Amino acid sequence: MRRHRTPWFTYPLAVFFAAFFLIPVIYAVMSAFKPVAELRLIVPTFFPRSLTLDNFRSAWNAVPHFPTVLFNTFLVAVSSTALAVTINTMSGYALAKFRFKGDTLILMIILATIMLPLEVIMVPIFRVLRFFGMYNSLWALIIPPAATPAGIFLMRQFLLTIPNDLIESARIDGASEWKIFYKIIVPNAKPAIATIAIFSFMWRWNDYIWPLIAISSPRKYTLQLAIATFQGQYQTDWSSLLATSAISMIPMLIIFLIFQRQFVQGTVETGMKG
Amino acid sequence: MTDSPPVKQRRRDSYKYYILKQKIVPYMFLLPNLLIFGLFIITPAIIGIYFSFTLFRGLGDTPVFNGLDNYRTLFGDQGFRDAMRNTIFLVAATLPIVFFSSLMLALLLAQPLRAKAFWRATYYWPVMISFIVVGLIWQWILRDSRGLLNGLVVTLGFERLQTLLNPRFAWWSVVFVFTWSRAGYYMIMFLAALLSVPVSLYEAAEIDGANRLQRFLYVTYPVLKPARTMVFILAAMEIFKIYPLVVSFTAGGPFRATVFTVQYIYETAFQYRQVGLASAMSVIMILFVMVFSGVNMYLAKRGGEV
Repeated sequence: MRRHRTPWFTYPLAVFFAAFFLIPVIYAVMSAFKPVAELRLIVPTFFPRSLTLDNFRSAWNAVPHFPTVLFNTFLVAVSSTALAVTINTMSGYALAKFRFKGDTLILMIILATIMLPLEVIMVPIFRVLRFFGMYNSLWALIIPPAATPAGIFLMRQFLLTIPNDLIESARIDGASEWKIFYKIIVPNAKPAIATIAIFSFMWRWNDYIWPLIAISSPRKYTLQLAIATFQGQYQTDWSSLLATSAISMIPMLIIFLIFQRQFVQGTVETGMKG
Repeated sequence: MTDSPPVKQRRRDSYKYYILKQKIVPYMFLLPNLLIFGLFIITPAIIGIYFSFTLFRGLGDTPVFNGLDNYRTLFGDQGFRDAMRNTIFLVAATLPIVFFSSLMLALLLAQPLRAKAFWRATYYWPVMISFIVVGLIWQWILRDSRGLLNGLVVTLGFERLQTLLNPRFAWWSVVFVFTWSRAGYYMIMFLAALLSVPVSLYEAAEIDGANRLQRFLYVTYPVLKPARTMVFILAAMEIFKIYPLVVSFTAGGPFRATVFTVQYIYETAFQYRQVGLASAMSVIMILFVMVFSGVNMYLAKRGGEV
């Protein structure tokens, strides 16, 4: 782009917005390290006067089954992501590289499900999960959410750019369709796979609605459901709440710092939440 | 010559078999995804429509067909009407704010700035935080007693504010917090569109003597059209189904000032066990979302491709 002179207020504005988006989070995270007495001050301190890990200890004890909940969240996020990557790549491949009866219809249906918010079909989903014996099981958090329309669409768009010759010559060499898929498609689709993987991990890690519908016993809770439930019951236990929130943000922060580029790219390409 | 027909026959058979197999292959690749969509999205959607025409109390109960009764009840349900109106107002208030904040952020980042990646990352970061935690963080800051906001107000020597205990303040806080949480996301969409504007367009405009504002109005803004439509529809849908953010932020209070449709449907189904009624509410809500998106897409199309 040609370099115009930037107006004088550009940098002050940039700094202002950085503060606007960062300070609330920094303040909340710092609060998680303040002693309980400091959290109860009528006029709160911004920077901690003294630091402590007590809140993390009390969260560990106060939130029911904390280690299990943490483990559940990891298990769900990782396995659902693995499943999502596999089946979305498969579907994206079928929709990008095959002509078959109903191909446009299927694509339309998949895109239409984006318009159907999960929140409004909570009740019947609950019934369906019970019917399949998946109610109150982590499977309900792993399998159904793995089919993300956004993921399929992203993969399809990406695979359209792979030359057909690659596939055709493998077919002439007598490679089986499955072999073509994992020897040629998968290695070529790595950037799209990475994008789907990190988005899927974020969605599952931060998800509240699926666990809310599908899980009833606290041992099967995920972190977000545990935080929301705990807050509903012990509104005032801010030390535990802040510590748990800080813990729930750590994996996201790490992933974000590593995969920042993919997030930006993925937002542009999918333009939607899964 | 005599044994040639069988060979031909076999070859044709295997070719037929190959063609058949090739026809099945794409469906096999699609199968797992379609199975999940069919079972967990489409089936529930259809069942939900059926439920909306039934008397169905309690989730272990059997639904009994009762025609349009639920829809009749629903129009007399003050709580639902309030929640629906509240939601529509929320969309009307939040949508322009989110839209212009994210557009402004994108315009800022489209400038030739130093450390662009840093600014972009800081503005995007709240998107990575779950709505539950976003709600908690802001409740921690805005709550009435001992919150950071009131601490600041008192330190500066003013009278303390009535914050989340005040319905009006709480309602506008939802608008604000949603914007804080999602502006970075929509910013990226605008930014991608901005960076794809051909430089030659700006140069031509400059030669014609267009100033900065004119360049924005007559070059940038029209080119942004697809991005604008997308942000408009996606953001509206997100605000329509707002719930997790509110759960940990205001929990619908004070005095139910921040109860929106999804929360009302959830309470009707899972707390009051009026499943049929809740399903009718869902149908109404889906119709709203569909009409809204449909109208917007139509208007975008009618305006012509850019």
